[in-house]
Amino acid sequence: MKKISKLLLALSFVFSLTTSAFAVTVASWGGAYTESQKLGYGDPTAKKLGIPINWVDYSGGLSEIKAQKEAGAITWDIMDVFAMDTINGCDEGLFVKFDFDKDFPPAPDGTPASKDFFTGMPSECAVGNILYSWNYAYNSDNVKGTPKTIKDFFNTKKFPGKRAIYKGALTNLEIALAADGVKPGKGGAKIYKALNTEKGVQRAMDKIKELCTDPKGGCVFWSAGAQPPELLMSGEVVMATGWNGRFFNATVGEGAPIVQVWDAQGLDYEYFVLVKGSPNEADAKKALAEMTSTEGLAGSAKYIAYAPWRKSSISVMQKGEPWYKDGKTNMVPNMPTAPANTKNYFLVDPLYWADNGTELGEKWEAMKAGF
Amino acid sequence: MSSENKQILTTDGTPLEVSLKKAEKKNKIKAFLLVAPLLLFIIITYVFPIGDMLMRSVDDKMVTEMLPKTYKSMEKWDGKELPPEEVFEAFYIDFQKLIEEEKEGKLSTQLNYTKNGFKSIIKKLRRKSKSFEEGNYKEQIMAVHRRWADVEYWRAIKRRAPAYTYQKYLKGMDMYENEKGEIVNVSEDRRVHRILWLRTLEIAFFVTVFCFLMAYPIAHLLATLPMKYSNLLMICVLLPFWTSLLVRTASWMILLQQQGIVNDFFVTIGLVTDDNRVEMMYNKTGSYVAMTQILLPFMVLPLYSVMKTISPSLMRAGKSLGGTPFVAFWKVYFPLTIPGIGAGCLLVFILAIGYYITPALVGGASGTLISNQIAFHMKSTLDWSFASAMGLMLLSGVLVIYWLYNKLVGIDNIKLG
Repeated sequence: MKKISKLLLALSFVFSLTTSAFAVTVASWGGAYTESQKLGYGDPTAKKLGIPINWVDYSGGLSEIKAQKEAGAITWDIMDVFAMDTINGCDEGLFVKFDFDKDFPPAPDGTPASKDFFTGMPSECAVGNILYSWNYAYNSDNVKGTPKTIKDFFNTKKFPGKRAIYKGALTNLEIALAADGVKPGKGGAKIYKALNTEKGVQRAMDKIKELCTDPKGGCVFWSAGAQPPELLMSGEVVMATGWNGRFFNATVGEGAPIVQVWDAQGLDYEYFVLVKGSPNEADAKKALAEMTSTEGLAGSAKYIAYAPWRKSSISVMQKGEPWYKDGKTNMVPNMPTAPANTKNYFLVDPLYWADNGTELGEKWEAMKAGF
Repeated sequence: MSSENKQILTTDGTPLEVSLKKAEKKNKIKAFLLVAPLLLFIIITYVFPIGDMLMRSVDDKMVTEMLPKTYKSMEKWDGKELPPEEVFEAFYIDFQKLIEEEKEGKLSTQLNYTKNGFKSIIKKLRRKSKSFEEGNYKEQIMAVHRRWADVEYWRAIKRRAPAYTYQKYLKGMDMYENEKGEIVNVSEDRRVHRILWLRTLEIAFFVTVFCFLMAYPIAHLLATLPMKYSNLLMICVLLPFWTSLLVRTASWMILLQQQGIVNDFFVTIGLVTDDNRVEMMYNKTGSYVAMTQILLPFMVLPLYSVMKTISPSLMRAGKSLGGTPFVAFWKVYFPLTIPGIGAGCLLVFILAIGYYITPALVGGASGTLISNQIAFHMKSTLDWSFASAMGLMLLSGVLVIYWLYNKLVGIDNIKLG
C-alpha cells in the first residue's frame, strides 16, 4: 500500500516538474514579498553566478516538502520558512545542516558570518533572511490621543474600541504578559520564563480574555497579513497587531493615516533552508550564499520594510539612503531593528513554540470558545 | 436421438453454446476494459489514499523501533513513580544509537506529539549527554532538565510503546489512555476537539438548512419560468461559481462588517444608531452568510434538475381534485422533489463540513473548525498520523449521515439530474 502511494506521489511530481530542470528553485510566500526577494537578491545572484533562479509560491508549512521527500521526487532546492519550521524540518532530516562560517561569506570587514547576524540560528539548518516585527498600529483618524505603549493597546478606558489580534496564541501571550507588567528582559527571556509555567500562561490568557470580553473593547481575529491595515482603514477596529511591512506599505505606499507603535514588539525571523537531496544542491548552496551576503540581504530592503539579518547590511543601507525604491523614503528608521524601535522588545522564541505550540493552541482555542 | 445430435453447430463446426459464450466473454472483457480506466482511477485516487491514511493513523512502529531497549526495560515498570535506573540506562543506550544515526530529532518530534515539551529537552540531552560518565544515568539525565525528572514525561514515552495504536483517535476526542489502561479525558482547559467537532457539525447543519430554504424557491422559479428568463437567472446562480472563493469572502467582509455598507445603510435610514451598529461579521453569523452564499449553487442545481422533470399538470390535477394550493404542493409537488432535496442537502452538508478558509476569515472567535486543526497538523506540526485520524473521523461522520439518509429516504431516491 505504502509503496504504491509513494509511486503515485512520485508520478504526480514527475508530471509537475517544470521545464527549467537546471534552475535553482526557491519556494517562497509569493506576492510583494517574493517580488522583493527576486528584485533584491534573486536576479542579481542569478546574473552574477550564471545560475537561473526559479521562484515558486507556496503557502508555508512543511507538508509539501515532506510529501516530495516521501515520494523521492524533490523539486525544490531552497525554501523560505518560519523559525519553527527550520527546527521541525531539521529534526525530520529534511534540510541540509550548515557549517555556518564555511558555507556563508563573511561581512565586508571580515567579520565571520556567524558574528554578522543579529542572533544565533534556531537550528543548524537555518540561515537568516529577514527580521520582521509583530507590532501594533492604530488609525490616527479614529483614535483620540496617542497610544505609545503596549499597555495602551490593552487600555480600553483610555482608548475604547475593538482590537484586531492574530487568530492564534503566537505572540499574543507574549504581549499580554508585557502589558501586564512583565519586563521582557534581554531578548524577552523573562517573558518566556514566565510562559514556561502554567501560571504565566494563565495570566497571559486572562489578560487577553479581559480585553476580548470587555464591552468597551472586544477582539477581531485576523488570519491573513493583509487584514490588519484593512481593518484599521475601514474603522472596524481602533488598533491592530500585525506585521510591520504591511503597515509600512499602507502608510508609505498608500498614504494611510496609520501609525506604528514599537513598544514590546516581537521580532521574528524568516529563514532560508537548503533541501537535503534536492536536484541542484550544489548550485543552490552557491546561490544561497550569494543571496544572504551583505549586499544581497540589503537589496531586498529596497522593496519591503523587513530588516536584513546581517548587521553589515544595515551600514550598506545607511550609506545608500534614501534606500526605498521610491527614492525618497529613508529605510533604516523603518527597520524593526532600528535603535529607536528596539527600546523594549522580545525575540519570538521558536524553540518555545516548537515545544509548546500544540498544547497552547488547544488552550487558546478552548479559551476563545468561551467568549 | 442422442443429445449429441441435438447440438446446434455454427458454420465452423463449434457448438453454438460455446461460440456464444466466447462472444459473450469478449463482450464482457470489452465492457470491463471500457470501465477499467474509471475503476483504476477510483482505486488510485480514492481507495489507496484512504488506505494509506488508515495505516498512518494507527501505525506507531517508528518510536517502538527507535527505543527497543527502553521499552523492554519498561515492561516491569508500573508507571506510578519515576522509572528505575535500568530504564534510564536503556534509554541512554538507545539515545546514543539514535544520535549516531542522526535520528534523535525525529524522536523529539514524535514524543512532542504525545506530550508537549520534549523538543527542547531532547536537544538539551543530546548536547549534555556527550559529557556523561558511565553509570548512574538516572541522576545524570534528570540533571539535564527538570522535565526529565517529571514522571509524566516517562509515562508519555511508555504510551508510545505499542507498534499499533488508537491513541490518535482518542486524542481527536480529547481523551487518552493512562498508564493503568483507563481511557480518561485530557485536562479541562485543553478539551478543544469536542468543541470543534460540535461547532463544525452545527455550522454545516445550519448552512444546509439555510441553503435549502433559499434554494427551494429559486429552483422552483427557475424550473417554471420560460426558457429565456430562466437562462438568465441560471447565469445569476452560477456567477458566484466563477468567482474566486477569497474574493467572495472578502466582499462579504466589506458588506457586513460594523463599518460596512449594510450597517452604513441601517444607520442612514435610522434603523440603528451610529454607536450601536449590528455585529454581522466575525461571529457565526458571518460564517453562515458567507458559506450559504458560496454553497447555494450546490443546492439549486440538483433541485432544479428534479423540478424540471415534474409536469405542471400534476399540480393542476391535484387542485382540480379539490386540494388547496398548499395541499396540492405538500401532497403532490413536494414528495416528487425529495430526491433533489436529498442530493442537494448531502452535497452541501459534506462540502460545508470540510470548510475552513472562509470561516477562519469571517468567523471571528468561532472561526476555527475541525478542518483548521487537520490543516494545522498537516502543515505545521507534521503530525500526519493525527491529521489522518481526524480526517478519517470526519469521513466516518459523513458515512454515518449517508447511512442515516439511506435508512430514512433510501439512497435510490437520490437524483443529481
